[in-house]
Amino acid sequence: MPAFDASDTVAAIATAPGRGAVAIVRLSGALALTIAARIFRTPRPLVPRVATLGEVIDEAGAAIDRGLGLAFPAPHSYTGEDVVELHVHGSPAIARDTLLAALAAGARLANPGEFTRRAYLHGKLDLTAAEAVGELIEAEQRGHARAALARVSGGLASEIDARRATLDAIAEDLGAALDFPDEVAEPEPRALARRIDEVDSALGELARSWEAGRLVREGVAIALVGPPNAGKSSLLNALLGADRALVSEVAGTTRDTIDETLALGDGVVARLTDTAGLRAGADALEVAGVARSEAALAGATIALVVIDGSRPLTVEARTVLAKTRGRERLVFFNKADLGDGGFAEREAAETSALCGSVHDVRDVARVRVALRTLAGGENVDLARPYLGTARQADGVLEARRALALAKATLANGEPIDLVASDLGHARAALAGITARDADETLLDAIFARFCIGK
Amino acid sequence: MNPRDDADVIVVGGGHAGVEAAHAAAVMGARTLLVTGDPAKICTLACNPSIGGSAKGQLVREIDALGGAMGRIADRSSLHVRFLNESKGPAVRALRAQVDKDRYASEATALLHSLRNLTIVGALVDDLIIVADLNGRSRVRGVVTSDGRRFSAPCVVLATGTFLGGRIVCGEATEPAGRLGEAPATELAQTLRRLGFPTGRLKTGTPPRVAARSVDYAAMREQPPSATPLVFSYRSPVEFAGPQLPCHIVSTNEATHALVRENLHRSPLYGLDLIRGIGPRYCPSIEDKVVKFSHNPAHLIFVEPEGWAADSLYIGGFSTSLPADIQAAMLRTLPGLERAEMLRPGYAVEYDYVPPTELFASLETRRVAGLYHCGQLNGTSGYEEAAAQGLIAGINATRAARDLEPVVLARSEAYIGVLIDDLVTRGVDEPYRMLSSRAEHRVVLRHDNADRRLSQLGHALGLLPDDAHAAFESRRDALDRALDAARVTRTPGGTVAEVLRRPTARAADVAAYLPGAGDVLERVAIEIKLAGYVKRQEVAIARAARGEETLVPDEFPFATVNALSREAREKFARYRPRSLGAAARLPGISPADVAILGVALHRARRTPPERLTAPA
Repeated sequence: MPAFDASDTVAAIATAPGRGAVAIVRLSGALALTIAARIFRTPRPLVPRVATLGEVIDEAGAAIDRGLGLAFPAPHSYTGEDVVELHVHGSPAIARDTLLAALAAGARLANPGEFTRRAYLHGKLDLTAAEAVGELIEAEQRGHARAALARVSGGLASEIDARRATLDAIAEDLGAALDFPDEVAEPEPRALARRIDEVDSALGELARSWEAGRLVREGVAIALVGPPNAGKSSLLNALLGADRALVSEVAGTTRDTIDETLALGDGVVARLTDTAGLRAGADALEVAGVARSEAALAGATIALVVIDGSRPLTVEARTVLAKTRGRERLVFFNKADLGDGGFAEREAAETSALCGSVHDVRDVARVRVALRTLAGGENVDLARPYLGTARQADGVLEARRALALAKATLANGEPIDLVASDLGHARAALAGITARDADETLLDAIFARFCIGK
Repeated sequence: MNPRDDADVIVVGGGHAGVEAAHAAAVMGARTLLVTGDPAKICTLACNPSIGGSAKGQLVREIDALGGAMGRIADRSSLHVRFLNESKGPAVRALRAQVDKDRYASEATALLHSLRNLTIVGALVDDLIIVADLNGRSRVRGVVTSDGRRFSAPCVVLATGTFLGGRIVCGEATEPAGRLGEAPATELAQTLRRLGFPTGRLKTGTPPRVAARSVDYAAMREQPPSATPLVFSYRSPVEFAGPQLPCHIVSTNEATHALVRENLHRSPLYGLDLIRGIGPRYCPSIEDKVVKFSHNPAHLIFVEPEGWAADSLYIGGFSTSLPADIQAAMLRTLPGLERAEMLRPGYAVEYDYVPPTELFASLETRRVAGLYHCGQLNGTSGYEEAAAQGLIAGINATRAARDLEPVVLARSEAYIGVLIDDLVTRGVDEPYRMLSSRAEHRVVLRHDNADRRLSQLGHALGLLPDDAHAAFESRRDALDRALDAARVTRTPGGTVAEVLRRPTARAADVAAYLPGAGDVLERVAIEIKLAGYVKRQEVAIARAARGEETLVPDEFPFATVNALSREAREKFARYRPRSLGAAARLPGISPADVAILGVALHRARRTPPERLTAPA
């Protein structure tokens, strides 16, 4: 588990790295106000939630910058702790010096996501919202950010809650019939089955969003393979160049092979690994590179195979095609502008092949669309909430397993208490997703809805 | 145990909780004193003449499996028994018995008189003898009665029912009373407040009684009793206690409702505002039914005999505190009761309770060592709930007198465990009734397997006698043998077990293949049919048990855990959850608070924190 020390006060630069108009250094914890008083000189003490002009000073008392200070005393802050924000001019150097001053005055550098974790631990966010904030911080891509936002505003939580509400209503009906048998009739089995089906199909919908969610969240892994000089690098540059702004290196995955993040459009991201080249008869120096390429290919979901299509297939081209046969792949026969090595037949012979030129933007666009389709991008609808973590997906799957059992129990004509037992497991599984208690409100609802008791 | 003491255990109150406590203590060998206002009124059924029902029937069965008294008393006085929920599943199948009220009380009294270690004293207890122990904590040392007698004992069980500050309300008339015509315990209420116990006010009510000779059953729907004898106790002979009588059902109508509406200004609840205590939602008065469920054109009313010889009928579902003249007029709007003669009006009773969050799970108070609270004093309602707590208080008081650890039943072990855990961890905001919906593990908490869950423990405690334990063991062995046989014995449709797993199969279908099963045949069928559900429930139980294993020390300083929200800090300090699981069950506690508490507990213990990650 992550280290959690409530006695620490943490600090970090809260704005995105780079030059902007304003940089914000945020402090959170019991000492936030004390530390702020040491490094931020103001004529009057900070008033809660009122911006106050002052001077940021270093250990020695030398001015770093003039800026605004804002205090948010606990519990009415993002983290639920005392929080101070120092708004300084947006130069990386000023932001860094302000942070260093805070650290020198007693703060600890916040771990990635620590503000959000503290907010969660103080009950400021439910679990799904906290997870989504985590993603929001990492999301560089617009579609991705929107989907994460939907969940911050409780999109997934409200979707799950809606299903739970139906299950709760069923549980109330069953509970009332079990506890007040003289007064409340058993629910009608077919109507009961319909209500369970309704919940199950909605959860099925959500379960399908798990795959789509993963595409948005993690991106699809694509290995770019092909013989040397087939035009791999050109294709890569063309794909990236079309949308440079959305490209970045994926942090922490730097290896010898180059990983690039590529936007395939409408929220789908690809992690593209450019392999050194799968070449037959390589010399000793290249053996290691080939091994790495093979590993990249093995780890990828999709192989993007680039072949020089302007001339007959070389031995190397055949090898690459053979190696990637039977797996998810897109074959791009390049260099259509240089001559026709039998493009039409080749495109027809392959289930997923395109012919064209990396120099023609329309062909590059076709590659992009084909990759998105192969990745399952049509299933991505960013307007809907999706399951973003394995924990959430497990909860939905467990709930659906329990619902399947409940349906079988009901269909077999088993008594309603056993249906209730299965539904209880489904309710508990869904409750686990938003981490709230499943039974707390059931009895209240029973008493509000039924007139019972002798 | 100190021979110079007058007793090892003193029980105050001779109702259903007190009798069960006194019985348990005496059977376990404690010198027991039962102090009650009127020894002629032991085990009075003050409200409905029935024992058991949904979830309550399981409680009675568990009390019996542990060696308690209630099941046997009910079996000796039942005049109408019936299984409820027979079609709704083996786990919710529950026995309910209408009993002869006088017979019930006399059987209970006879049972108590048969116990050598028990002395019954007729007196009101006014005060408790309190000393400070070595740690400065208050400790009870005995009781003082209103006639000035002092009785010393290391443990005292309070089972005062509705008598603590009791007040009866019927229309404009109110009088201090615990039950109609019986004086309340006013001094004792003061004593508890002086000791620092907070008290709250609850309300309950009882319907009017009607002369049987004045009603016409032909206009009512008959509810027949079971044709075959049914008993709560594993120790009772399976036979009828006497002739079996039917019950009857009628419905209210617009004329009834109009009378209620026209006279609401004379209702202590609505117009007169005489009642401040909170009443139970599951047992609403007829006023509440008419006002809060005005869209219902009719409400069911149950007409139940109060005894074989008694002329009195209990009018279930008709609880009211309207003035007596209105009650009589309302009764006469009911079919078959047009000429009904009202023997006694219904009334409401308001009484003090002490929040059960003042208690450890042993039912000992946190404030005063050696003092135990049970029954309505803890904010519960119902004879069965009272008896279940009385049993546990009696067991634990006896054990404490011997310096033994208390017995605490788990939620996955017994309805009694659910009941007490709910009380001491969450408290009550209305009179608490046991409901099957409160038991998340109810698939394993069944009428049929109560002995298997609890009889071994009952015997080990010295409560279940040897002969009853031997009978349990032979039942258990017969069941195991029959289960084994069911798995291997072939029928034309597969093994017996395979046949029984089919939804429509009944135990009787395979009787011929398991000739040795006899009495346990029904249980074989239940075990086999439920096996899959039980297995899944056991996974959930194991998951829940992890939280239960992380214990919170009694003196844990919640106030010093700064990371907790203020609300959580206050709640934890007030309710003092005994485990991480209990903390999680508190209303309004977020998973974050639980996670933080887990971290803090871990720090306090310095053991590896595998299970203390944020809840997933």
